[in-house]
Amino acid sequence: MDSLITKANTALPRSLRTTDPVPQNARKYNHIANKKLRTTLRRQLTNAERSKALVKDAELLLPNEAGKMEVEGDMDKTWRTSQDDIVNAVSVEAAHGRKEFQLDGGPYRAKYTRNGRHMAVVGQKGHVSTFDWQTGTIHSELQLRETCRDITFLQDHSHYAVAQKKYVFIYDRDGVELHRLKAHVEPTRLEFLPFHWLLATVGNSGYLKYQDTSTGQLVVEHRTKLGACVTMTQNVHNAVIHLGHQNGTVTLWTPNLPHPAVRLLAHLGPVCSVSVDQSSGGRYMVTAGMDGSVKLWDCRSWKEALRSWNSRGGNATVAWSQRGYLAVASGGAVNVHSPPSIHIAHPAPSPPPLYLTHPQPAKPHTSLSFCPYHDVLAIGHAAGVSCILVPGAGEPNFDSSEADPFEGSKARREREVKSLLDKIQPDMITLDPEFLGKLATPRKMTEGVDPDTLPFARRPRLERLRIQGKADVTEDMSEADVTTDDPADAAVARERDHAERERRKMRGKGKSLKRYLRKKRKNVIDPRSVSVREHLAKQRAERERVREISRDESKSKLPSALDRFHHR
Amino acid sequence: MVKISVLQRAPSAHLPARPGDPTPTHRNLDPLHHPFSRARERIRALNAAKMERMFSKPFIAALEGHSDAVEVLARRPNSITDVASASWDGEIIVHNSGRRTHLAKIPGAHKGKVSGLCWADENRILSCGVDRNIKMWDACQDAQLDPSEAGQSRLKPLAVFPGKGTLHSIDHHTKDPIFASSSTIVQIWDETKSAPIMDITFSTSAESVTRVRFNPSEPSVLASIGSDRTFILYDIRTGKAERRVVMQMKNNDLSWSPTFPTTILLASEDHSLYTFDTRRLDTPTQMYKAHVSAVTSCDWSPTGTEFVSGGWDRTLRIWKEGRGSQPEVYHTKRMQRVLATAFTADARFVLSGSDDGNVRIWKANASEKLGVITARERSAIEYRDALKDRWKMDAEIGKVQRSRHIPKPVYKAAQLKRTMEEAQRVKEERRRRHTRAGESKPKAARKKVVIAEQS
Repeated sequence: MDSLITKANTALPRSLRTTDPVPQNARKYNHIANKKLRTTLRRQLTNAERSKALVKDAELLLPNEAGKMEVEGDMDKTWRTSQDDIVNAVSVEAAHGRKEFQLDGGPYRAKYTRNGRHMAVVGQKGHVSTFDWQTGTIHSELQLRETCRDITFLQDHSHYAVAQKKYVFIYDRDGVELHRLKAHVEPTRLEFLPFHWLLATVGNSGYLKYQDTSTGQLVVEHRTKLGACVTMTQNVHNAVIHLGHQNGTVTLWTPNLPHPAVRLLAHLGPVCSVSVDQSSGGRYMVTAGMDGSVKLWDCRSWKEALRSWNSRGGNATVAWSQRGYLAVASGGAVNVHSPPSIHIAHPAPSPPPLYLTHPQPAKPHTSLSFCPYHDVLAIGHAAGVSCILVPGAGEPNFDSSEADPFEGSKARREREVKSLLDKIQPDMITLDPEFLGKLATPRKMTEGVDPDTLPFARRPRLERLRIQGKADVTEDMSEADVTTDDPADAAVARERDHAERERRKMRGKGKSLKRYLRKKRKNVIDPRSVSVREHLAKQRAERERVREISRDESKSKLPSALDRFHHR
Repeated sequence: MVKISVLQRAPSAHLPARPGDPTPTHRNLDPLHHPFSRARERIRALNAAKMERMFSKPFIAALEGHSDAVEVLARRPNSITDVASASWDGEIIVHNSGRRTHLAKIPGAHKGKVSGLCWADENRILSCGVDRNIKMWDACQDAQLDPSEAGQSRLKPLAVFPGKGTLHSIDHHTKDPIFASSSTIVQIWDETKSAPIMDITFSTSAESVTRVRFNPSEPSVLASIGSDRTFILYDIRTGKAERRVVMQMKNNDLSWSPTFPTTILLASEDHSLYTFDTRRLDTPTQMYKAHVSAVTSCDWSPTGTEFVSGGWDRTLRIWKEGRGSQPEVYHTKRMQRVLATAFTADARFVLSGSDDGNVRIWKANASEKLGVITARERSAIEYRDALKDRWKMDAEIGKVQRSRHIPKPVYKAAQLKRTMEEAQRVKEERRRRHTRAGESKPKAARKKVVIAEQS
């Protein structure tokens, strides 16, 4: 009733409702006898199709265009363009992103917030700073005077966590120490999972720990058994943590599994950097090893590296931008490769074509991070942090409900509350985030119960319908369509169903009386039945002959000279 | 020559143009920018389902005044708030459920209990009792009196119609000035005549007829239920009983659907309710099973999509038409056996009269917010409803949506009932397995309800 009332109050008037015609290829569900169900399904499908079309339209209406660098002739190369050229070519506003922070106490690591507005840098000697890089407002600046290994913002720039010599500490925006997480000993890397409100840390002891930052609980700790770990990244699309280890393996972790979900031997030496491609929905992963090679992996098959190449100088750091630009920092330079060509499998070890290169002599390059929603790449190195311009790296159109670079304090508060309400439980993290809302796999029969002796009434409903021949086989067909697109499969399924039904029909065959009658019938020689039997046999022979001929014809269509001898 | 363009954002496009303006928002519907959209939507649906349970406080008020059990309720035609109730001590009260006041109070309307009550028109009430009289009252004359006087005033009925035996029920024709009463026979009366104008009874029936109701949209058709487990349809144009259905158990109440003239609802002693299509009386169209004791009363919502039933198990249940299980269930500690139920004319509230002498008002939708709802709140409610509907198949969300707290005796009784039904089913199955194949076929529960259909 509630829906009735609310609909009556707020349903769109008929004149304002959409008048788009129903999509052509929409299913009609004519096989469904229940009128109400059929109408509901049709309406749902129509709405879904319409909204799909609207999404497509909305793509055309996106206001901003991504940055780019284009050459006219084949002889021109984009990688010849230096940062100075780019800065000179673009407007002052756009060139604002190019910055050099000369800092003591390096090497430095830099991270951005999810909306790309704020930046946190940490030097190994204990210099921590968080600031709004666009306006240049410094939020906090700390000299911690102990080894700091990593920094990350929590839900937004109002809190950040620093991996210090012994523990992880959480500071607020103004640099006031809020928490000392004593459970996280000697942390080396930090990652924050924003939708689950989890702070994941890994340390020299080789433990991966998840701390819920909304409740303060240590959710789970996993013993990796692979020694100290200094390489960690997250897949933003499924919140799986990727760790790179000393023995060359890369492991994928979720809070609900005590062992890695995937274990992969990626390199022959230690793994020194891992990154996951956001632009392909977390499909590709790139790893760099101390052995000097950089490898590209397909996260769906893990069979073999799609592509691998040697980076000059070894010990590379890799990072993937929002739009799929891959930055590799090794030797004395940072190389950026542009998207479509990276993902193409390439058997021979060769790097994908270069898009941009930037010499950065201050080694080691400890961190690479692309600024979300901007064409900026922050390189953390021994002499500080440098931000370079990478045209095309950043997503041009942001969504205010997810991450807004221009949000005010009210919007920030609002979003914090909303995201707390929408907090996903840690055990929902799986490799496939789309498993929710899918059909459950059919339950197995209980052990020790013979399915054949199970009375009809106790069987599952679908099976009962199938036995009665009332099951909707078309639903299974649509499943088959999704997976194989093969009508033959559907036909096979239908055939199987039919056979099953027939089998059930023949149930009364073994009855004693019928058997007796059949036996009796066999012994009686009745001239009428004899003639009928002969007739049937003749017909069967005829059918057989026709089939034989058609088979022969299909085998050899071409006329042969020996055809004239063929007896018809 | 290299063409270079770098992303730049003008703050002017993203900040409010003037102070006080809303901040401009931007949308990018690309699913890549909305990670975990499905998981987040599920969490939102779960929260919505939990909120619904949290805010489901259906009880609104108890209308006091009776000193004995309330057995009959009759809502006033063309009024949302007014309802008449009558109790076992022979008192009739007309309540205004909105202001929770008495519009009229007729103490001692009958000697003994008042067994039937209905409105003749907007101002007059017809009542019948075990004192074998039908009386007509003016329900509005008290409205002018001040409330202190209203209690004391001994009212005179406008008319008295002497009946034959103990009267059980009374109902008025929708348009014409005639009404039907039931004792051991069904009698049709004219308002202006003191003797019945017609006696209609099924030929072989001699037991008492406990309820009689006119069909609201086909007003010459009349249905009755009796203590001899029968349910009879009459037509006053022919003056005959047209059909009689003998059922397994006796029925306690009946109600015609206000929107489907052929649908009739029966509240049965065997803990369930049945809807029948009067064109096909051999099986009920739907069984409604959840009560753990006899169902004593039922009433359709004016929309015809829902109905309410009250039971001997001290609960009130609200059913969706066509959905035979999992009704909404209402109860309170102080409510005793529910003897009468009614929907209000706006379908938003439910009234119940019970053994403890109170008439209670309940929300028909337990978690509905009463009062003014802003447009923003309304849209949030609609969004939550859509989410709940979309995710109702999810195990966790469905569990939250289905869970109801019910009193322990009711819970235990339901458990026991389930166990007994299961045992019976198993026994039946075993018996069937040991008989010759095909000799005893299972019979649907729906088809066991009706024993015989006679005409």
